Amino acid sequence: MEVINHLINGFASVFLPANILSLAIGVVVGMLVAVLPGLTLVMGVVLALPFTYSMGITPAVILLTAMYITGTYGGAFTAILFKVPGEPLDVPLLWDGWRMAQKGRPAEALGWTLFAAFFAGLLTVAAMVLMAVPFASFALKFDAPDYFAIIAFGLTSVVALGGASLTNAFISMFVGLFIATIGVDEIYGAERFSFGIPMLADGVEYLTVMVGAYGLGEVLVRFEQGFKSQPLDLGAKVQTKLPSFAEAFKLRATFLRSSVVGLLCGIVPGAGATIASFVSYGIERQYGGQKEKMGSGIPEGIVAPQIASTASVGGHMVPLLVLGIPGSGATAVILGAFLLHGVQPGPQIFQTQAAMVYTLFASMFVSVIAMCILGYFAIKPLVRVLYFPEAITSAYVVLLCFIGAYAARSNLTDLWMVALFGVIGYLFEKYKFPIAPMILGTILGPTAERTFQTTMISFQNDWTIFFQRPVSATVLILAIVALGVPVVKAWRDIYIPALRRGRA
Amino acid sequence: MQLATPKLFREVLFFLAALFAVTGAIGQEKYPQRPIEFIVPWGPGGGADQLARKVGKMMEDSLKVSIPVINAPGATGSSGMTKLLVGEADGQSMSVFIADTHALLATGNPKWKSTDYKPLAIMLRQPSAIFVATDSRFKTWADFEKEARANPGKLKVAVLGLGSIDDMTLRYLAGKGIKTNPVPFANPGERYISILGGHADALYEQAGDVRQMLDNKQMRPLLFFATERLAEFKDIPVSKELGYDVTLPQFRSVVVKAGTPPARVKILADALAAAAASAEYKAFLKDSYADPNSYLGPGEAEKFLQGELDAMKHLIATISK
Repeated sequence: MEVINHLINGFASVFLPANILSLAIGVVVGMLVAVLPGLTLVMGVVLALPFTYSMGITPAVILLTAMYITGTYGGAFTAILFKVPGEPLDVPLLWDGWRMAQKGRPAEALGWTLFAAFFAGLLTVAAMVLMAVPFASFALKFDAPDYFAIIAFGLTSVVALGGASLTNAFISMFVGLFIATIGVDEIYGAERFSFGIPMLADGVEYLTVMVGAYGLGEVLVRFEQGFKSQPLDLGAKVQTKLPSFAEAFKLRATFLRSSVVGLLCGIVPGAGATIASFVSYGIERQYGGQKEKMGSGIPEGIVAPQIASTASVGGHMVPLLVLGIPGSGATAVILGAFLLHGVQPGPQIFQTQAAMVYTLFASMFVSVIAMCILGYFAIKPLVRVLYFPEAITSAYVVLLCFIGAYAARSNLTDLWMVALFGVIGYLFEKYKFPIAPMILGTILGPTAERTFQTTMISFQNDWTIFFQRPVSATVLILAIVALGVPVVKAWRDIYIPALRRGRA
Repeated sequence: MQLATPKLFREVLFFLAALFAVTGAIGQEKYPQRPIEFIVPWGPGGGADQLARKVGKMMEDSLKVSIPVINAPGATGSSGMTKLLVGEADGQSMSVFIADTHALLATGNPKWKSTDYKPLAIMLRQPSAIFVATDSRFKTWADFEKEARANPGKLKVAVLGLGSIDDMTLRYLAGKGIKTNPVPFANPGERYISILGGHADALYEQAGDVRQMLDNKQMRPLLFFATERLAEFKDIPVSKELGYDVTLPQFRSVVVKAGTPPARVKILADALAAAAASAEYKAFLKDSYADPNSYLGPGEAEKFLQGELDAMKHLIATISK
């Protein structure tokens, strides 16, 4: 009852002019940041932080959280329309989202992401309000082996991304994992594969790989074809097409699975929206009702990653508020904002700062709604962009790729990396290697390596620890099954018949 | 018309050249005129970043130019140093420089030398400490020490990374018979959860970085690496009184490239001194549990850096013996 009273007061204070204004700014800026490939939502939140110094604590935190939530949604537009993921977490949207758009149904694909973001946003805030304290104690249960198991499971989604050839998918993933090892290692500080070149000693930022291979690579492919493909003939179909309730209800199992994955990945520090998005797609591909059709442009493949990434936001806010522990880059910045204003997150915050906390919760509800309204009206003009001649949109894609990559850490060498990976992406595309597993490898590689090494040091090189802890054992066994099944299938379908033919 | 255009063009060109010459001359007299970039060799949101954003804003007010903060994380701060050192020594860029990067001079083999940069000020010094979760079975440092001596290498201490100052301090203690297992957690969230969730026995950290968890009584310190007891933690022993010759405080300083004109160094150093003397900055130090007398001017800063480097080299020599 007390919670409801607090929430009502919270909603009332969200609509105070200062609060609602910073919410509106947060949603709009968050959307812009998410759309720019390379400029991640974490970077966006960082850039916004200095502007909040002079604000009160409540509008400051509202602005940053609004950006954070919106950031998990805005990148869907570029992923689906241009095959350029705005954020790393949008990569899984390329597989089904972009394909659906390719089949002439971009408005429908965007409608599904809108619906998914709306559902997940409201759900995650509700879960946060009701279960913040038990969730937070859950976060404490995770140790390095469990982090590693979750990342390993994320990597197994490679089997889903292979397209025609599983072998090529694995090659691509190992290329990605290799790229991730370049540079100074985080544990021992050893330089690897840098050949004394300072540019390589810094490591290869996964953003440059993603932006280059997808954004620039795609443009190069189209350039080779002379920008000949006709602008999509959308005719009368440019209507924002939200899924009907009945259609959405058919996907209820997907909604449930992805929501759980998103919330859990959010709570685990170091996992976050990107991993949630990949893991959720992987689970859908392994266990979903439509698993055979995943990757061909079906709504399940759009809904699963979108729900998980948006749902992870609430999961991330919980350890921040209840334990004062930031689980991700964005929440670390929000923690900074709290501390700058002299507010200390922690178990007592629900008593000492109840008004502010519930205003924050209420503002997150309102942000989700505002972001969906903005998204709804943005779909129509954005889809029109596909009418433009390919050469013109491609020019803008190149421009945005470079601006985004430079903004990430103001490093000129990153632009060379984007160019290099643009060429690599083009070659991959040309020789029928899937790009996604490489991106997956570069994003998850460093975390996988770090958590593995930490585990080995912590448990004195006893690898069986992975199978002694309930969480890591369960997740790793699922990962092994996920990897094993397609391999056994391939063996049964290809190798055995070949063997029989050989004997005959 | 065809004749007029080149003439007009020449005139415009002449005018522009004159304009540049005049502004250029003024620019040499008056410094600063252009924005000064403030490099943070670490990611956003961390301690170095907070310092730069705080101090940068105060310097903007006094120097009347904008001071954009640029994050250039990577390689324990070496990436940021490289960024500073490839630029001109013209006072248009400065960088945060912290103890962990400084330690590379003793442990690693960085591409830069201590003569490549010049300190403007030490802005913040804070002692490190060993923390445990509030409900830990170790009530005091003596409890912890006893168990570490009884079971060498069994107690897990969460640190930033191996080869870091954290690790060096623990290896020094190991040399004294207090052998622990330093477990690296680069992500601060994971590092703090490791003791709160009982995955590690203790944590090496600066008090200012876990302030909210100390104030919430989720964690408590067992031992500070300092020469004197801290005003806020009167009951907690410090390394010096136990006979351990290891302090290695975390420090955050501001440096420019060596060879920057002395007049410009003075302007920047004075602006930093004024910022450090303000009440706002004093409050910031207090909130970070930092030494209230953290600030050191350019001359003292240089001596301090040299002293710290000698201490680290001495420590490494002791460890490897």
